[in-house]
Amino acid sequence: MTQAADPPEPQASGPDNAPPGTAGNEATAGSFGAVFLTTFTTVFLAELGDKTQLAALLLSAESGRPVVVFVGASLALISSSLVGVVLGRWLARVVPPHQLERGAGILMIALGLWLGRQAVLTLLPSGVPGELPVG
Amino acid sequence: MQLPLLASTFATVFLAELGDKTQLAIVTISGTSSRSGAVFAGSSCALVLASLLGAGAGGSLSAVIPTNALQLAASLGFLVIGIRLVIKAGQAETTDSEPPTA
Repeated sequence: MTQAADPPEPQASGPDNAPPGTAGNEATAGSFGAVFLTTFTTVFLAELGDKTQLAALLLSAESGRPVVVFVGASLALISSSLVGVVLGRWLARVVPPHQLERGAGILMIALGLWLGRQAVLTLLPSGVPGELPVG
Repeated sequence: MQLPLLASTFATVFLAELGDKTQLAIVTISGTSSRSGAVFAGSSCALVLASLLGAGAGGSLSAVIPTNALQLAASLGFLVIGIRLVIKAGQAETTDSEPPTA
């Protein structure tokens, strides 16, 4: 009887309270779908070019049991993203919000630059002499 | 007899993914968003789907999909998210006078 009929939040999974990382700004929190889409697109695009090793691993198991390998790999990927999410929540609890936002933003910019540099270097015709000697 | 293979695959991929750029991105998005469930669901789906695509295309994923162009797009996405976060942090500092209502 005392239970609320319709909780307004669709899925506030995890602990009871939302992390204080984004305190009181619902506009930036976004809907579940928006956050899902952003995360999905970012991770998918970033990971797709990086999946060659995993593909090779799955292929190498082709003689044996590729389904088992795929299940194991998927479980590992889900676990690693769970570790990432938990780590992010912990950081949001420990670090003040805008310090975390600045640090995260700088990290994202650095990752973007690094990723973009790699992509550009491989897209360009390789073997250009004296292009960028700096590693 | 499948358990050793499962365990070894799990360990290999899990260790390879720890500290990967993807996980750093997940930490970033999760730490700055209050919707951890959405972040977890999105990243899990993306990772599993990406590995499924990679396995389906075999070793020649780059022949089917322009992976380098996709990585370039991903890097642009990273840049956009990062710049937005930095701008937001700057705005939060300038309007620091109002107390955060929990």
